[in-house]
Amino acid sequence: MTGRVIVITSGKGGVGKTTTSANIGTALAKSGYKVVLIDTDLGLRNLDLLLGLENRIVYTIVDVIEERCKLKQALVKDKKNPNLQLLAAAQTRDKTAVNAEQLKEICDILKEDNDFVLVDCPAGIEQGFQNAVAGASEAIVVTTPEMSAIRDADRIIGLLNTKEEITSVKLLLNRVRPNLIKSNEMMSVDDVVGILEIPLVGIIPEDTGIITSTNKGEPIVNDENALAGKAYRNVAERILGEEVPFLDLDEPKGFMAKLRNAISKLKVKV
Amino acid sequence: MLMEKSEVENGFIIDLSNIQNTSQLVFELSSIMEHPEVKGKNICLKLGSIDLKQSQLLSIKALIESMDSSIAYIDTQSEQTEASVVSLGIIVGKVSDDMKADLSSSENGADESSYQQEAVIEKTENDSMTSEETEDKTVEVVAETELPSSSVETLEGIEDIYDEVSTEELSEVIPTENFETTAFGSLAASEGLLPAEEVSKYILLDTGNVLPEGVEENSVNTNSLPTLYLNQTLRSGQTVNYEGNILIIGDAHPGSEIVAGGDITVWGILGGIAHAGKNGNITSKVRALKLNAIQLRIAGLYARRNDTLNVPYVQKSDEFTPEEALIEDGKIVIYKKLRRD
Repeated sequence: MTGRVIVITSGKGGVGKTTTSANIGTALAKSGYKVVLIDTDLGLRNLDLLLGLENRIVYTIVDVIEERCKLKQALVKDKKNPNLQLLAAAQTRDKTAVNAEQLKEICDILKEDNDFVLVDCPAGIEQGFQNAVAGASEAIVVTTPEMSAIRDADRIIGLLNTKEEITSVKLLLNRVRPNLIKSNEMMSVDDVVGILEIPLVGIIPEDTGIITSTNKGEPIVNDENALAGKAYRNVAERILGEEVPFLDLDEPKGFMAKLRNAISKLKVKV
Repeated sequence: MLMEKSEVENGFIIDLSNIQNTSQLVFELSSIMEHPEVKGKNICLKLGSIDLKQSQLLSIKALIESMDSSIAYIDTQSEQTEASVVSLGIIVGKVSDDMKADLSSSENGADESSYQQEAVIEKTENDSMTSEETEDKTVEVVAETELPSSSVETLEGIEDIYDEVSTEELSEVIPTENFETTAFGSLAASEGLLPAEEVSKYILLDTGNVLPEGVEENSVNTNSLPTLYLNQTLRSGQTVNYEGNILIIGDAHPGSEIVAGGDITVWGILGGIAHAGKNGNITSKVRALKLNAIQLRIAGLYARRNDTLNVPYVQKSDEFTPEEALIEDGKIVIYKKLRRD
């Protein structure tokens, strides 16, 4: 078995790379695939926190590279889903502790007995980015509908296109706020796709549930009711090759929201 | 009882060698000290075979210092007194018999050294200096400190103290019997602490015993290890690694790592990883005002915090109950300090 190595990157920080990695990884594992998440943000690791695995980490990727442990020992199994494993970054080191070749080697070993290896890339275009990208054959570029994030995403896409090993680069638009788009205060999905000119793999609505899920260490895909969770599940399905229509973000989901929506429409009529 | 000028500059000899009783000694000394001539002088105290404990000697020193005088040296025939004198950092001297004849010769003799010493190190340094300077004089201040010269040498390079000073040498500099450690120790072990939350709070990882190869379990007394004192907050990504005990005044944030050969004590919230007894010392302990370490490691045992306790942050409060983690029956157990309302 040879799994797919997908790097999740963005250029800009704070757009949701780590949240995306945690959620797509969890969603794929829930569908029965074996997934390894690699946190390459050495010194600023977060992925373990989002998965609620911080207290289980004994060895990190640096320990593997410096041969203080075997690769298998460093993989931390998820609390709920044994299909999902995490290779944590070292918190007490920096990006220079590993190099691109070493990371590629680890990816190559991991893809032998896993369906997916998702690499969570650090912000920036320096060594950390080069390391994360080294072993990947696909990339998901995360961006938000803001000019600065799009500018950085554009730069990243340019860099990814120079890498021969990367055959597919897809866009994930995060923190979309339909009401702002409607009032012309936010760039629309079409605008962003128009600028970046790469295929879209997902649109994730802004969801306050993300904050609580991050704090609890529980990816939002596990929440059946959350809209963002549903959107991430759809992304996972698209990665698996299925045709899934994009969510209609205009339609509020909950009963109360529908009611509120109805009332606001009434008011407009009045 | 005798009172006369000494060879030490601005010095006075007080001879109490015939007194065998402590209260009489203090009485005699205080009556002498009240004499206006003795004020602001360097006192050379001549004692007989009377045995004085460190605490008694300390009160005598305080008495002399309350009159703006200081002790230049103490001449004694008792071994116990001599030991007390040394431990207080006072010079053991000999009052020479023929000093009266040489009163004038000491004019520029030992004027550079202030005879009020605070540390043993300084004392012996100055001592050797004075004995060199007064070599050709008939009066001699004989340095008779009990400290082996080797320990004095190591102490001179004070930065390297932890690397070079062995346990024996350290205990000679700071005589431990003068601190009543046993009283605190027994209190902590019996009535002061009670077991709490040891089942739910930390769960051993299934890594097994993860001592590196060649390292064996041991139970070295952590009292004998040197201690690193840090007055700062440890932030994410910062590590402290030390062979002895570590004392941190401040919080250790999540993402930080404290690794010690002995005990770890955090006077604050411990939120990172704490590894006590890294060289296999199973008697090592981890203590904190709020023990919230993401992982606790003692010797080769690793335990993770229970998931239910994973909170984004710990709210600061003045209601913390200090906790202590240690190994019991192959498990890491937490003890909470008992509150007495």
